[in-house]
Amino acid sequence: MKTDNFLSLTRVSVAYFVVIASVALLGFRLIEMQLIEHEAYNEKAANNAIKGIEQIPLRGVFYDRNMNVLVSNIPAYTVRITPADYDTSLNKLLEAVLDVDPGYINKILNNNRTYSKFVPIRVKRGIEFPAVSWLEENSANLPGVDLIVEMQRGYPAGVRGSHMFGYTKEISPTLLEKEKEYYKPGDMIGYSGIEKAYEKILRGKKGYTYVLVDSRRKEIGRFKNGAEDVASVKGNDLVLGIDPDVQKVAEAELFGKRGAAVAIVPKTGEILAYASAPDYDLNEFSYSTSKEYLQKLYADPDHPFFNRVNSSPKPPGSTFKVMESIAALDMGVINTDYTVVCRGGQVFGGRFFKCDATHGSLNVVHAIEHSCDVFYYNLIYKIGMEKWTEYSKRFGFGQNTHIDIGEESPGFIPTEAHYEKIYGENWPRSIMASLGIGQGEVNVTPIQLAQYCALIANDGVTYTPHLVKGYLSNDSSRKFIPFSYKEINLGIRKEIFEIAKEGMFLVVNGNGTAVASKSQYVQIAGKTGTAQNPHGKDHALFIGYAPADNPQIAVAIVIENAGFGATWAAPIAKKMIEAYLAKDKLKELENNSANKTDKKNKGIAVAH
Amino acid sequence: MRIDYKLKDKFDLGLAIPALILFCIGLAAIYSSTLHNPHAVGNFNKQLFFGVASIILFFVIYSVPTNVFRSVAVPTYIVSLLLLVVVLVIGKRVSGAKAWLGLAGLGFQPSELAKLGTAMVLAAFLSRKNTAIDSFKDIFLALLLGLVPIALVLAEPDVGTTFVFTGLIIVMLFWKGISLFGLFVVLSPAILAISSLLGVYYFVAGLVLVVISLFMFRKDIFFSASIFTINLAVGFFTSYVLKALKEHQQARIRSFINPAADPLGAGYNAIQAKVAIGSGGLWGKGFLAGSQTQLQFIPEQWTDFIYCVIGEEFGFIGTITVLGLFLFLFIRILKLASTAKDEFLSLVLIGILSIYFIHFLVNVGMVVGIVPVVGIPLPFVSYGGSSLLASSMMLGIAANVYRTKKNYT
Repeated sequence: MKTDNFLSLTRVSVAYFVVIASVALLGFRLIEMQLIEHEAYNEKAANNAIKGIEQIPLRGVFYDRNMNVLVSNIPAYTVRITPADYDTSLNKLLEAVLDVDPGYINKILNNNRTYSKFVPIRVKRGIEFPAVSWLEENSANLPGVDLIVEMQRGYPAGVRGSHMFGYTKEISPTLLEKEKEYYKPGDMIGYSGIEKAYEKILRGKKGYTYVLVDSRRKEIGRFKNGAEDVASVKGNDLVLGIDPDVQKVAEAELFGKRGAAVAIVPKTGEILAYASAPDYDLNEFSYSTSKEYLQKLYADPDHPFFNRVNSSPKPPGSTFKVMESIAALDMGVINTDYTVVCRGGQVFGGRFFKCDATHGSLNVVHAIEHSCDVFYYNLIYKIGMEKWTEYSKRFGFGQNTHIDIGEESPGFIPTEAHYEKIYGENWPRSIMASLGIGQGEVNVTPIQLAQYCALIANDGVTYTPHLVKGYLSNDSSRKFIPFSYKEINLGIRKEIFEIAKEGMFLVVNGNGTAVASKSQYVQIAGKTGTAQNPHGKDHALFIGYAPADNPQIAVAIVIENAGFGATWAAPIAKKMIEAYLAKDKLKELENNSANKTDKKNKGIAVAH
Repeated sequence: MRIDYKLKDKFDLGLAIPALILFCIGLAAIYSSTLHNPHAVGNFNKQLFFGVASIILFFVIYSVPTNVFRSVAVPTYIVSLLLLVVVLVIGKRVSGAKAWLGLAGLGFQPSELAKLGTAMVLAAFLSRKNTAIDSFKDIFLALLLGLVPIALVLAEPDVGTTFVFTGLIIVMLFWKGISLFGLFVVLSPAILAISSLLGVYYFVAGLVLVVISLFMFRKDIFFSASIFTINLAVGFFTSYVLKALKEHQQARIRSFINPAADPLGAGYNAIQAKVAIGSGGLWGKGFLAGSQTQLQFIPEQWTDFIYCVIGEEFGFIGTITVLGLFLFLFIRILKLASTAKDEFLSLVLIGILSIYFIHFLVNVGMVVGIVPVVGIPLPFVSYGGSSLLASSMMLGIAANVYRTKKNYT
């Protein structure tokens, strides 16, 4: 067999074919990639080299009802670390400079391990000035560490507003998972109060600047000199109904106590003051919150984070008597001629129910004035359990007010069914006597009381209570765009309210329970309440409005475990009302006393 | 007696000019890709230095008497094998493979010399008067000569270079005139090795093909069964070798099968290389203006991924020019090999051609995404002294054969 095929024509041809075909194959592949699919590859190359940097917009600020700034933005320094360039042996030094616990930096870096090593991680916000200057001086020896200026919240008006304003915080991983369309790790988001409820209006729209980066994502210049950049849009500024004078009085008066104070404009539902005590200092939250401060807050048995205005239901006590009077008058079961004789107490269902005093014979007006329990023990039987529940609910109790911020507790209004369920059909009717004076199982929140007071003050018509009136447009006109809130109309005749209001006027200005809180500047009408509390001292309550003939402000005060409403709650309401309606007179007074001290000081200076 | 002859009778410009142009294009691409890299800024000058050294080496080899090549074939082979052993012992590890010998401050890759040594020793063996290409004894001897350097290179481990050796052996056997059945016996294990890498189904399909082929060749049953057994063994051995491979090499093979699975890992280079080439378009982005290159999206682009620089900055015009130059060079060597009447020289030339060609095919194929990412340089173009010197040495041999072709053709 001849086997030597060396240099056979076929083999040479095969060799030529393989060489030419292979080169041709590569050539076709190049045509495909470079000529046909060029655009797609070009886009990929561009995406590689161009990085969009998010521009966090300025958060909207809060204005008060007089268009003065309540909550502002102030610049603050943030330290960042880019893990790819950072040397962890610097941890100790940096932790000392930043005044944080040992291991703090490692913890933060570990938490962010899933992101690219070239993306800077925020290590601490709100760096104090000495640390800032140290970091800047030593920046050459701190590879991968940089400082940026970011906006933080400032509170220039001197209003604390902890529960009302709320705070912003770096977004949590769980929330980030839900909201990843807008937020990125490290973004700030409203966590409570108005900051949370109005997050979408306040946050604005992120912008982007495009820069050229190398394969290490290091910036090496602007892309097209910024022609493609998208400017960020500032968040909308909110306009609140808050009157800082009233708010400051409320905060000052509640200081050291547990309780809540709310003031509302009865005609509109705008909230003038909103305070819950104890509270916390929002300035501590505007930067990275210190661990000690948080621990202190969490350890406090009075729960400073708890928003008592929205969520702390307490028995309304005698403040409920106004509602019952209106209900009975509206139902027609009594009129002003109807009287009850108070002998200092009465027996219902074999049990003796006492009154604070022996009031003798009185009608509904004077029953309110003197807060006579005997009158209302009797009245609730006239109204009946079913109607009592119905009217309570009409006045907004036992359900959420739908105030524009925060979680809310609906409180509790017992029903006939409720007692039937517990005690059966023959439930002891003596329970009703307690309910008649706002005690027992009935529970209402301070915001419900404030809304209730507004309804009385404005003869049964108001709007859902709200902190934010509207927002300002972002264009140069800065037009005010109001939010609309639901009207509440009880449909009860004005004359009926006038009867109840006459009683409330006498509470403060007649021989009533709160004559001590009579104001020399403005006529206040109101109703005290003292809610019995099996766990300690009574809760002090007061609802009131002023001026009595044309109400501009309605106030509700609840002070926990303080004692009599007249002693503890009414004076606070008086001060808040005066802060709103007697501004000029109070200022005059203040100036006078200031002048006096001035003169005194001058006298001293002369004496020297 | 004085004989007048023209330059083209003694010196083939068709060999030297394409190689020189390729070198210059390579220099430009090296300059561009190292411009912003502080670790590689000296590479342009180094390459220029090796370029000059290569030209000198080329002319030295061009000038020696042609019959020297046959006599140095075995010594070259043995020396290169010794160097491959030495590099395993005292070699420098660069990106996972122990393939470099430090020599007066310069790195040297013995495998570059071993390719030429293997080509020459195979040529010498196959061109012996008593070698019968279809005797299985001689086929196995030839394979053995090739498998020794393959085993040594695989131990470094340098997968790319083993491809070159494997191709070299098959091409030379083919050129010598191995029968279709002989080629099948040699080739089928290689094909099965590759199919076993792709997965079980491919491996089974490959085995079925082997059985069908054996049936069609109608050899005796015992012989066919032996061939089948060898194939089966190679398939299992390959998957064993795959497991023994270094992690980064396993990852490269896996990422070729599905590059998108790990876009930031082993598939990264493959994807970025394609983006660089594809985004170049017809005219390219211009010298020093390719974003992929200048922003260093492809690591060590001046070595194995140099073709991307050309593709991105000089576009289709650049890439097709390089293809054209290589094609011209290949045809030129092929023509010389097919006209050389001396069997040894013809086999050496086809060996040289196959070394160039496989480097070219794997390198360009890799950057355009039709071959796995295996690190082997593009001859004359890629940065690297050993590769350039070896390429020029081989070109010198080809030019030498051309010079004395009157005596041998």
